[in-house]
Amino acid sequence: MTYITSAMRFLLPTAVLAFLLFTGCKDNNTDTEQENITSIEVDLAGFNINQKFYWKDLDGPGGNPPVIDTIVLPASTLNITGRLKVYDESKNPVDDITEEIEAENTAHLFVYSASGADLNIGPYDTDDNGDPFNLVTVWRAGQPSTGTLNIRLYHEPTDKMNSTNPGGEVDFDVTFPVRIE
Amino acid sequence: MQKSKALLIGFCLLPVLLLRAQDCHLALRGHIFESETGEPLAFASVSIPEAEKGAVADENGYFFIAGLCDNRKYTVEISHVECDHFSQALQIRENTEMDFRLAHNTVLKEVVVREKALAPQTAQAESTVGREEMEATRGINLGETLKRLPGVTTLNTGSTIAKPVIQGLHSNRIAIVSNGVALEGQQWGSEHAPEIDPFTADKIVVVKGAAGVRYGAGAMAGAVVLTPAPLRKEEGRDGWLALGGFSNGLGGVFSGSTDWHLPGKSLAIRLQGTVKRSGNLRAPDYYLGNTGASELNFSAMAGWESGRWTHEAGASTFNQRIGILRASHVGNLTDLQLAIDSPVPLNNTDAFDYGIERPYQHILHHTFKYKAEYQLTEKWKLTGQYAFQFNNRREYDIVRYTGTASDKPQLSFRLWTNTLDMALEHRPWAHWQGGLGVQGVQQTNFVGTGGLIPDYKTTGLSVWAMERWRRFPNPWEFEFGARYDYRRTAATTDGSLQNIDTLVHFGNFSATAGAIYHLSKNLSVTLNTGLAWRPPHVNELFARGVHHGAGTYEQGRPDLIPEKAWNTNLTLQWQKDRTEVTLTVYRNQIRDFIYLDPQRNFVLTVRGAFPAYYYQQTDAVLGGFDGSVTLPLSGGLYLESRVSLLRGYRHAADSVTEGETRRDWLPLMPVDRFQYGLKWTNGSGSKSSGDTYLRLMATTAMRQSRIPEEGLLKEAPAAFTTLSLDAGYSLYLNKMPLELGLSIQNLANIRYREYLNFFRYFADEPGINIGLRAKLLFGG
Repeated sequence: MTYITSAMRFLLPTAVLAFLLFTGCKDNNTDTEQENITSIEVDLAGFNINQKFYWKDLDGPGGNPPVIDTIVLPASTLNITGRLKVYDESKNPVDDITEEIEAENTAHLFVYSASGADLNIGPYDTDDNGDPFNLVTVWRAGQPSTGTLNIRLYHEPTDKMNSTNPGGEVDFDVTFPVRIE
Repeated sequence: MQKSKALLIGFCLLPVLLLRAQDCHLALRGHIFESETGEPLAFASVSIPEAEKGAVADENGYFFIAGLCDNRKYTVEISHVECDHFSQALQIRENTEMDFRLAHNTVLKEVVVREKALAPQTAQAESTVGREEMEATRGINLGETLKRLPGVTTLNTGSTIAKPVIQGLHSNRIAIVSNGVALEGQQWGSEHAPEIDPFTADKIVVVKGAAGVRYGAGAMAGAVVLTPAPLRKEEGRDGWLALGGFSNGLGGVFSGSTDWHLPGKSLAIRLQGTVKRSGNLRAPDYYLGNTGASELNFSAMAGWESGRWTHEAGASTFNQRIGILRASHVGNLTDLQLAIDSPVPLNNTDAFDYGIERPYQHILHHTFKYKAEYQLTEKWKLTGQYAFQFNNRREYDIVRYTGTASDKPQLSFRLWTNTLDMALEHRPWAHWQGGLGVQGVQQTNFVGTGGLIPDYKTTGLSVWAMERWRRFPNPWEFEFGARYDYRRTAATTDGSLQNIDTLVHFGNFSATAGAIYHLSKNLSVTLNTGLAWRPPHVNELFARGVHHGAGTYEQGRPDLIPEKAWNTNLTLQWQKDRTEVTLTVYRNQIRDFIYLDPQRNFVLTVRGAFPAYYYQQTDAVLGGFDGSVTLPLSGGLYLESRVSLLRGYRHAADSVTEGETRRDWLPLMPVDRFQYGLKWTNGSGSKSSGDTYLRLMATTAMRQSRIPEEGLLKEAPAAFTTLSLDAGYSLYLNKMPLELGLSIQNLANIRYREYLNFFRYFADEPGINIGLRAKLLFGG
């Protein structure tokens, strides 16, 4: 039994010293990395229309409230191409997150739901698996009316065919006022 | 007859010795038992040859010898016709009460079991974690160890993160003191567990109520005090190795410690280390995805003496990675509601795995301490202590881009703390014992982006004095203390400590007064009342952001003023033979209690709207009852019971009638909790190894029905009862004591959720967990 104790005499202190030496010189890089979606751009192009609308909250949650454009569309217009852009404007230079979302299109899903306004939004693109992605969409404005448009980005959705509850997490959830005139 | 004679000697000698103005006024009160049966031994003769004193025990086995000198070596010799001659070396520094167990004409001469100072350290309500319970739970975490005490519970974020709650209050309102150093981490966060390795402690005491005078402004509602075993006094070497395994999470823990007192020198050193690893825990119906944890801790201590100087140095490092339940990560309020409504966790990986993925926390805590004592005179002692702490907390969240992922955390805090303590203490002087001191604190906190709180620098200065009166055998004892603390915090919201944009400073008095009355040698009553305070923390002043786990937007209030508490508790303690009853009633009145107040508006963010919570303050009252009872039945069987009851309410601003206030319950108050069970022990306890024992305990937690109306996302969980089983057995392996233990938690594998666990929204508590442990003590 003495060899256990004598082994302990050397092993434990050595292990302790070794650990203290090695952890003493760990990397000092503790900079954090935070991705903040601050701005969503709705880029609409078609007959009689070529315009960009923004939802922006540059100072993040709280503080100043978000600045939100009203999406104004001419009535009875078909085939408007809607394209979304997502930015982090808290960074300098501004970080265009759209590229990352496009690169990982199978792990993302945009969902649109209009209420009140006579607005119809249909799919244009699909992801690499042929499932819905909806970064680019086709819009149709109907009768003059007012209402809202809610746009959500889901990350790692579990069911891309279920547009009301695709699962995963919500990366953004923004609502624009809409006027069709 | 003999009893009165013994007392007579005591009473007569005491004043004589005092008049001679020497340090020979101490008394020893002993209780002699027969070791196998635990029966008191009547009429044994006791002598202390060095002091030329003697006594005869009374019919209940009690004896009393007064006029013993401070710090001198004595031998207590006890003889009894039916027993072996017994002798025990002894050195006392204060009036002492000891148990002596005599073997019945057997060869073994193991003796002292319980030794305690007759005058406890404090007139305040406190509970000590039993040795068996400490051994049974310390492989899990500190919270689990403390949870078994009456009046103490935990605030959990899952099963891996547990913060102690003392009589309903936690975080910045209690202090955690390890080896004489108050822990400085990011205590304000409810998901920030204390950075403590329970294996470093030999004794854990929870001080309840206002402990601000002794432990500083942070200890407004109490303190958890962890003390390591003293370093070796004699030359030689000893140590222990502990190994534990747990079925739930397939966890393992290994800890070892070795002490060495160098031959021919006064230097004694200790090296200690703990390594821990566990995987996904399992609730009765599913695995809890990403709940693994790993830990690697080391500590070293050294002590030496030279002349009138006594030195002690210590260093420790704590390194922990904790996985956070994947299902608890939600993006916005809709996600949160979906998660709450789902009967099984969403986004859960229902499989066993040791891997720790995002989200997880990585915490590093280093402590260095140096303490020196200088004996000015026989009575006066000067103590200085310097401590440095570095706390680095990194929180890794789920990031959106998985392909181009970097390994950087989303949140990082770095906190440097320097504390310097000076104290002048004296031994009993005209029956007064105590001291006074000063403390200086300096703190710098760097917060990475997105950290909810700004960077800050804090400096503080405190002065305190404390005295205690005890004139044995006068039934009264008194304790008084006062303290003044000053804190100045300079904060910056633009991320550079060169550009201080906010300056706040607070100063306040704390005071404590306590009295103990010994109704008889078995029964005592303690009354303690104290004033304590706490400056508002930086997060309460300047927080701004979404708290994702709670689905709320939180905002601080820069004009908050300190909280002031007036805490009173009354304790009744009955101790006879092996019957122990401790009952405490308390009331804690807090002026300007700081809390998160739900607003009626929502804050619009890119992830949708979140309900707004602003920090507010109002008056609050917490009152309750803690009880603990141990009753011996027959044949080594004991009945054990603990009760914790608490009611907490605040005066909330009434939204209906402006300017009026109404009473509202405080949120997140511990539920009423009952523990009851049976313990069997063979009773042959000895100094070096624990008893053989078996304990079956049931814990019943009621449903929390006293909750505020607003801000409730999910009903409080139903009442539940869990069963636990502990067992311990000691044997000798080549003359080295080996302690073996078994502990089973949630024995019946029931499904339940705890009100004070934030993850009750997402998942059940873990199911059955069978733990096995072994501890080998070597050297001597």
